[in-house]
Amino acid sequence: MVTIVLNKYKLLNKIGIGQQKLEDLLFNLKSEIKPVDESNIEIEINADRLDLLSSDGIARAIKGLLEKELGEAKYDITDTEYKLIVDNVRTRPYALAAVIYNAKIDLQELIQFQEKLHSTIGRKRKKVAIGIHDLKKIDSKRIEYREVPLSYKFIPLYEKEELTISEVLEKTEQGKLYGNISISNGVSPAIVQEDGEVLSIPPIINSDKTKLDESTKDLFIDVTGTSFEAVAQTLDIIVSNLAEAGGTIGRVKVIKTDNSFQQSSPLLIHKIQNVREEYANKILGIKISEEEICKHITRMRMNCNVENGIIRVTVPQYRVDIINEIDIVEDIAMSIGYNNLEPSKYISTNYGSYDYLTLLERKMRELSIGAGFVEVFNFVLIKNEKILDSKYVKILNPISEEYNAVRNSLIPILLDFLSKNQHAKFPIRIFETGDVVIYDSSTDTGFRNDKRAAYAIMDNKVSYEDVQAPIHYILKTLGIEVNYKEENNDIFIEGRSASIVYENEKIGVIGEINPDVLIRFGIEYPTVIAELYITEIAKKLNKR
Amino acid sequence: MISMLSENEAKILFFLKDLKKTNSVELAIKMGIPESSVLSLIELLREKGYVKTEVKSEKHYVLTEEGRKRKESGLPEDILINTLNGQEKDLNEIKNILNKDFNIAISWAKRKGLIDIKEGKVIPKVKTYMSSEYLALSNLERADSNTINLLKKRGLIEEKERKIVSVELIKEPKESEIGISNLNRELIISGEWKKYKLKKYNVEAFPPYYTISKKHYFREFLEKVKDIMISLGFKEINTGYIEMEFYNFDLLFQPQDHPAREIHDSFSVEGSGKIEDKDLLNNVKEIHEKFWKYEWKQDITLRLMLRSQTTATTARVLASRPKAPQKVFTLGKVFRPDAIDATHLIEFHQLDGVIIDNNFTFKELLGVLKEIFYRLGIKEVKFKPAYFPFTEPSVEAYGYLEKLGWVEMCGAGLLRPEILSSVGIDSTAGAWGIGIERLAMSFLNISDIRLLYSNNIEYIRDTKVKIE
Repeated sequence: MVTIVLNKYKLLNKIGIGQQKLEDLLFNLKSEIKPVDESNIEIEINADRLDLLSSDGIARAIKGLLEKELGEAKYDITDTEYKLIVDNVRTRPYALAAVIYNAKIDLQELIQFQEKLHSTIGRKRKKVAIGIHDLKKIDSKRIEYREVPLSYKFIPLYEKEELTISEVLEKTEQGKLYGNISISNGVSPAIVQEDGEVLSIPPIINSDKTKLDESTKDLFIDVTGTSFEAVAQTLDIIVSNLAEAGGTIGRVKVIKTDNSFQQSSPLLIHKIQNVREEYANKILGIKISEEEICKHITRMRMNCNVENGIIRVTVPQYRVDIINEIDIVEDIAMSIGYNNLEPSKYISTNYGSYDYLTLLERKMRELSIGAGFVEVFNFVLIKNEKILDSKYVKILNPISEEYNAVRNSLIPILLDFLSKNQHAKFPIRIFETGDVVIYDSSTDTGFRNDKRAAYAIMDNKVSYEDVQAPIHYILKTLGIEVNYKEENNDIFIEGRSASIVYENEKIGVIGEINPDVLIRFGIEYPTVIAELYITEIAKKLNKR
Repeated sequence: MISMLSENEAKILFFLKDLKKTNSVELAIKMGIPESSVLSLIELLREKGYVKTEVKSEKHYVLTEEGRKRKESGLPEDILINTLNGQEKDLNEIKNILNKDFNIAISWAKRKGLIDIKEGKVIPKVKTYMSSEYLALSNLERADSNTINLLKKRGLIEEKERKIVSVELIKEPKESEIGISNLNRELIISGEWKKYKLKKYNVEAFPPYYTISKKHYFREFLEKVKDIMISLGFKEINTGYIEMEFYNFDLLFQPQDHPAREIHDSFSVEGSGKIEDKDLLNNVKEIHEKFWKYEWKQDITLRLMLRSQTTATTARVLASRPKAPQKVFTLGKVFRPDAIDATHLIEFHQLDGVIIDNNFTFKELLGVLKEIFYRLGIKEVKFKPAYFPFTEPSVEAYGYLEKLGWVEMCGAGLLRPEILSSVGIDSTAGAWGIGIERLAMSFLNISDIRLLYSNNIEYIRDTKVKIE
């Protein structure tokens, strides 16, 4: 989700409707409005609809839904004498450019539009970066895109004096943010005019020379990047939205120095996408005619005609989100309005089925309540220092040290819970069932979830049998007759802990918690705990 | 007969046998009987020469009636802020919601700098709020002095004198001295009972504390959601928390260079997994490179992470190349880095479902969603176009909740044909993901998401069960 902030009055004026109507229409275009202050609104745009990232794109789309304008928006295009000579720039090889005459620009909005494109299709300028210049401040018709050494000097945007590129990297905010993207082997990509003066250092910063100001009328736009298609799409979207505002698109001749490429830019790529009437109807579950389908497509600002029973859609350059037939089908649905599609009544003709572990867990929870334990429910993530053994999953990028590991047992979870309830009414008898994560080399990730049930009693006086008796009879009620085998470790008091064994397999542990461990958790009262391995028990019960 | 000990007197002595020395407050807590009863029992024991006592008095705080009411319902300014939920509202509108609490809410919220009032509108400065006073109402012993003063000033608590008697055992009772005020088998069959006058009880007094074991309120909600899915004919499946990026992202058509895959948006885990199905890997590589135009890398797709969406489970179902028809669901935990506050956690539940069927339509998908929400008690639903990389058409469902208005509930859509063909499915399929915590909060009437995972046993013991 991307958000843009626009002046409400300018936008409403541009489209000629009221705010409620705008809200309703934007809802049908995947977008939502929130007020920011008296005159500004924030609009949420879905990441696929890059064409809606400026008010002119929104206006174009809404005029379609209002049927004020239908089909592809047509713009004035003219040839220019500008040339962009593209040399071999190793780190970001692709560059295109365009001119806009008589641009009606709102500077703030234009910068926002540029930044939002940078963060979406531009992948934070890694894939695509945009430079926008005041055309009349450029001194030559021939502009070059090539590598320059880091000692190359220019005045960066909003700076007072000349800096070398190396200095830009060290001293400016932009240099620090984007400096490491495209610089390599001591050279940087640069857009320069014929005499070698820098216009921009993509993707870092423009030169102060061609800065836009209140008097700027005509623009020169360069787009560079690592993907030719993304560069072309980005430029197509920018020029389309500027032209929608009333500007004229000027073509720039883009020539590779080795002559491997020569093209008129922007490319204004149009795509033909066929749509089958039967497919569209089948996907949506409706029955409408080819003509109706075409009408909806034109409301979504694309051209459409029917030839020999095939619906041919011409996808204009600003709809880069359309990649397949199904995308057109969604546009048809959006034009109809999702809330005008009557949902089909859902009728189930079969029975569902529970995971066997869910069924077993539910029975165990019921029996645990019957045995007088209160159910608690804690987080899966835990502070690694609380985990009582060394084999656990550590999070590489935790956001808090309190939650930097995944639990591998419910025992520390219950101890942690008890530590926070030292002053509650006694006795405290609690249980929890849930998943822990353990190593398992037989799975494709090397780990698996293991379902457990754990029981704890904390009281002024409590012993092994106080927890052994209830879990013994919980298991017995499930038809599981277990044995206990003394097993000592650091968690429990020596001689007061056992593994719980069923058909020669360990299905749990039980014992009185070692006072060292109690103190570590801040627990001041005797505590007994048992943990049962539900996944193991389920395997034994042979149902899985 | 006069030296005979009542059952409760004997109980105290039994207790003192272990402790030797204690006081009336502690005895009342440990025995679960009122302090006033303990005091009179101690006095009797002193007269009988079993214990030595010393009387002190101490100040303490108790809730006033107003305080008890607020502990149940919340403080007015908390309710105000949480009702606004970050949005401004007209004063009059708020007046209608808060009624007689209106003035208190506004004046305290202003005093605490939580809101601004401009031109008849209340503008919240925070999205959620839980006052320290409210927390203190449940736990007066631990409240700091500032909060106590505030509570006093607001008339929510009052100071009371409390008599504390320290007790020390000086003589252990002989067995013969312990009278049994309860009947027993011998007394009954021997007729001995006739010799005693059985002591009268104060039968009108409230009983001592008793813990009722019960299921956890949030777990109950989760199980209810599962039951709904089963009743709709779905099969439950579960997969692990540790997942490969392949299932969490790549198979779902999320490009590897997409900003949503950057390090701060999911939790990474060391190591990498393995995928045997080389055709599947190739198919996914192909569609990514064809449609997203970048070089797809296998080592990225095999990296491990904590799953950030249960759609990863749906992806695993798809990767098993199932034959239509299929209806499966999963309900489980997902993990995402975020700041923890009243509306955000770093782990929460999602319900993901998928229907794979010949000729499954978008209208049928809307119908399934409507039915699921209807059974969850949400009668009004509306649909908004949306974008998810793996579905087209995509939709977000909004449900109407009594207190919150229209709330985004779920993302859904028909799976993209590119994905279906990569796993060899030639029918259509609809999938959806529903966030569960917000629904649970609304259903359970809880305003702070952290309370779904409360680690306060008294809070859990105090929760009421819903009858439905």
